[in-house]
Amino acid sequence: MPKYYHDDPRWADIDALPQDDGGPYPLAAIAYTDEYSEAMSYLRAVMARNEMSERVLELTEHIIDMNPAHYTVWLYRAKVLSATNSDLSREIAWLNPTALRHLKNYQIWHHRQTIIDKLDSHVGEADFIATMLEQDAKNYHVWSYRQWLVKRFALFPGKGGADGEWDGEKELKWTEGMIEADVRNNSAWNHRWFVVLGGREGETVSDDFIKREIDYAQAAIRKAPQNQSSWNYLRGIVRHAKLPVSALKDFALEFATLESSDQVHSCHALDLLAEIYAAEENTWDEAAKAFELLATKYDPVRAQYWKYRQGLLRQGGVVA
Amino acid sequence: MATVVPVAGDESKFQHSKHINFWRRCLKTFLPHQYTSNDANRMTFAFFILSALDLLGNLQAALSAEERQGHIEWVYHCQLPEGGFRAFPGADFGSQRNDENKIWDPAHIPATFFALLVLALLGDDLQRVKRREILIWLNRMQRPDGSFGETLREDGRIEGGNDTRFGYMSTGIRWILRGNVEGSVDGVPDINVDKFVECIRNSETYDGGISETKFHEAHAGFTSCAVSALSFIDRLPLHEKASPQPDDYLHGISNLPLTLHWLASRQTLTLDEEDTIDKFADETDSAATCHDSRSFVKLRSYPSKAGELSFKWQPTSHFELQWVGINGRANKIADTCYAYWVCVPLKVLDHLELVDQRPIRRWLLDKTQHLVGGFGKLPGDAPDIYHAYLGLAVLAMFGEPGLKDFDAALCMSNDAKRYIESLLWRREIVGNEEVSKEGERAI
Ligand SMILES: [Zn+2]
Repeated sequence: MPKYYHDDPRWADIDALPQDDGGPYPLAAIAYTDEYSEAMSYLRAVMARNEMSERVLELTEHIIDMNPAHYTVWLYRAKVLSATNSDLSREIAWLNPTALRHLKNYQIWHHRQTIIDKLDSHVGEADFIATMLEQDAKNYHVWSYRQWLVKRFALFPGKGGADGEWDGEKELKWTEGMIEADVRNNSAWNHRWFVVLGGREGETVSDDFIKREIDYAQAAIRKAPQNQSSWNYLRGIVRHAKLPVSALKDFALEFATLESSDQVHSCHALDLLAEIYAAEENTWDEAAKAFELLATKYDPVRAQYWKYRQGLLRQGGVVA
Repeated sequence: MATVVPVAGDESKFQHSKHINFWRRCLKTFLPHQYTSNDANRMTFAFFILSALDLLGNLQAALSAEERQGHIEWVYHCQLPEGGFRAFPGADFGSQRNDENKIWDPAHIPATFFALLVLALLGDDLQRVKRREILIWLNRMQRPDGSFGETLREDGRIEGGNDTRFGYMSTGIRWILRGNVEGSVDGVPDINVDKFVECIRNSETYDGGISETKFHEAHAGFTSCAVSALSFIDRLPLHEKASPQPDDYLHGISNLPLTLHWLASRQTLTLDEEDTIDKFADETDSAATCHDSRSFVKLRSYPSKAGELSFKWQPTSHFELQWVGINGRANKIADTCYAYWVCVPLKVLDHLELVDQRPIRRWLLDKTQHLVGGFGKLPGDAPDIYHAYLGLAVLAMFGEPGLKDFDAALCMSNDAKRYIESLLWRREIVGNEEVSKEGERAI
């Protein structure tokens, strides 16, 4: 049911401010519905007089539902919420279904951060995120928002902030659960990186830590050898620890050898082997062979890239 | 040049006249009400519509002198008295605008960037643009961490994410209005270029991509915006081909080989939802699981002949390689717009040769190009302005006959870029700087 304001006595005091589309030759003009045109006319009217009232909250809800990307309607709403001393938990209750209706909207998350920051409590947020991730387990905004919560409420492992409900150890466990549910969810892998390293910026990482992360990634690779997310994570950790890439040689050989091309179970293992061989001049022939296998048989989608990498060998073996 | 072996799919055809029809419709008639959720993107969409027709070589023919002038007036109608542009007329209070309520109608970074490009496409000389005001405002739009936002609040706080999209458009505005001149122009100091480069370096990820902000997931859109921004400010990584002299400047992309690896890895054979189903039950088996292991399993069962051919720069007849799509993040499905967000940084980094353009072109033409013109997001999807423009831009980048030469960083034709560079007031700014630099060296 469309909602109108001109016949609503509560809005009788407002002179709607119609849109001036800027002359006879507008660009990207939209065939607005009457409902949207009218609601926007009332929005302009109340914004123009900086009205801070309960009814403005209703009006902004209405606009947001039709046009959540309106960049000032959110800011206006936030100001009205604070001017009218509104119950912020009610705001969150409204935001939950609104976020589910507008999965790709950015503003909604910024608004949510503002509100949760003021509420100074993350109660209910983990459940809300779970609902959102059920819709789309790789929703970029949701993962970004979760990072914000972890930082805001100090939910890094071993960094305090333990309140029983949600703490750093639980965050790491939850992340593992997400990877368990879909080992190829790159957002979950990235979140692990953030959880284990985001709270220790500037610190040197211990050998135990590095070993734990390498073991974790390797176990995931054994489960699904053709998964770029876990390989990228493994190589990222090794690079972060400043270990030579050759430290991973035996592991890569579990999934690929140059001797028998039928024993390649992962193009990512072959990619890694190529890089290891390319790093030493005396194994450049092996590197060239690995690049050729990738280009011709195991990863021909990227044939031109592998050819380029092979060409770099002649120029001195510059690789990632 | 290798001998061309005819293969199925060579008949892939770019439907030039259908695309003109699609974009003419967008220009001449109201967009359907489904675009209401994009009301606040009208200036951006105005750019897509005009630039698409420009790329198609049809913009001149599409507009009468009166219409052209009328559209220019429309853009200036969106200029704010204090400088900068609003993104849509819906934010305008008209005669009721005053100092108290103008905070709800602020200058908007994307709108300002695209308004300048739209004016250039329409042949306006930008003389009525409040250029000095925009440059002052641009300084206020940069945060201490080097990032840029979307709008400014009354208390001076910068709203909007601190990701590279706004950095891209801010450095784009700077490039249009003052080239890459360092120091003050017209008494207005420059943005903090070093701090911005640092901000980009902070958003590099462990797998070589660039993310929204530090520790977020690598994403092709943010990678593309970062690389193009670096080109606007002349801080791209020094190129291995040119064996350049190291300079004293901080450059972005701290590990170029890793970034190239990440960009090349965005090519995928997962083109639609069906491809994502793991029929081999080798690992996770769910429709929501989107990955490339299936393509690996498929491909490794083939004899290597076709792969060998493609390795030797021959057109491949390998059925599975007929169409190659591009995704925006690891283990995601291909999507038309990501062909753009991945090919742009490759092109700007002078490495477009790392992808085989032919199967990507076939994917766009056979799978996401629509019967009525334009491109959709996924195979079979109806076209929308955003995907239609970005799909077209990729083909222009690939040198598709019938499309104009394309400048990847600026996202428009080289013709249009040269027009901006030819503007007299700009030549005075950019030219003078070059002269003064020469002068300094002479001293
Ligand atoms: Zn898309």
